[in-house]
Amino acid sequence: MLFSDRSIWTMVHGIGLGGAALMGLAAALFYLYAGRMSDGPGGSPTASRALAGVTVFTAAMLWLAVLVGTYIIFPPYRATPPPGVTDLSQFPRSLVLANPNTAWLHAFAMESKEHMPWIASMLATAVAFISVRYRSRVLDDASLRNMAIILLAISFTLVAFVSLMGVFVNKVAPLQ
Amino acid sequence: MASILGAGIGAFAMGVTVLLNEAGIFVAPTVYAPAGGVSGRTTLATIVWLIAWGLMHNRWKAREIAPRRIYLATVTLIALGILATFPPLWGLL
Repeated sequence: MLFSDRSIWTMVHGIGLGGAALMGLAAALFYLYAGRMSDGPGGSPTASRALAGVTVFTAAMLWLAVLVGTYIIFPPYRATPPPGVTDLSQFPRSLVLANPNTAWLHAFAMESKEHMPWIASMLATAVAFISVRYRSRVLDDASLRNMAIILLAISFTLVAFVSLMGVFVNKVAPLQ
Repeated sequence: MASILGAGIGAFAMGVTVLLNEAGIFVAPTVYAPAGGVSGRTTLATIVWLIAWGLMHNRWKAREIAPRRIYLATVTLIALGILATFPPLWGLL
């Protein structure tokens, strides 16, 4: 096979789910920011429905990404090589830790990826909830809209950061 | 408001569980052995998030809550939570 199961799951996690989440976050942020520019009420039913849709989609993508990452990809990443194994290519964590120049890929990059995305998911879920529950009020109420922007911006920053860390790890020690 | 502050509490809980684990004070039980301790830490933080959200939602659903203090508390909790999950901070413990 051209791609192993592990490799396919890595692509699903990073490019599929993570990429979709980043696009959703960007779209929701732009939608909310564009709402700041209008003087009148921005909350038509269509507009608020669209915002609710994109934020729910984003939250779903984020949760799927963290669950796939934690329970499908992380276990083979952190697997301990049997005694006597010298080829660590199938054991990414051990591979990067074996070299002082690449140890940071686990100690900093992967350790960051373990927890930060969960925070991003919680923040995105909060925004999705208020978008669904309060509909046009999210677009009309300046303080609520700004808080939604702040939460999504934090979420976007976290997801972009951990995505970059994932690219670095996968570049040096890919799951094969 | 409950969902917003709940997310802040969840973020803070994530940071606390990570810090307690790194300090050796409290290690969350592992939920899924192949994933290791991260499965327990993240599950615990998620449970705290959902309980906090649910409790505040029930308490506040008939009330109009002044948003400013909630927003400030939420941002503070999120900042602390994120900071606590940042690996260089653990070296200071």
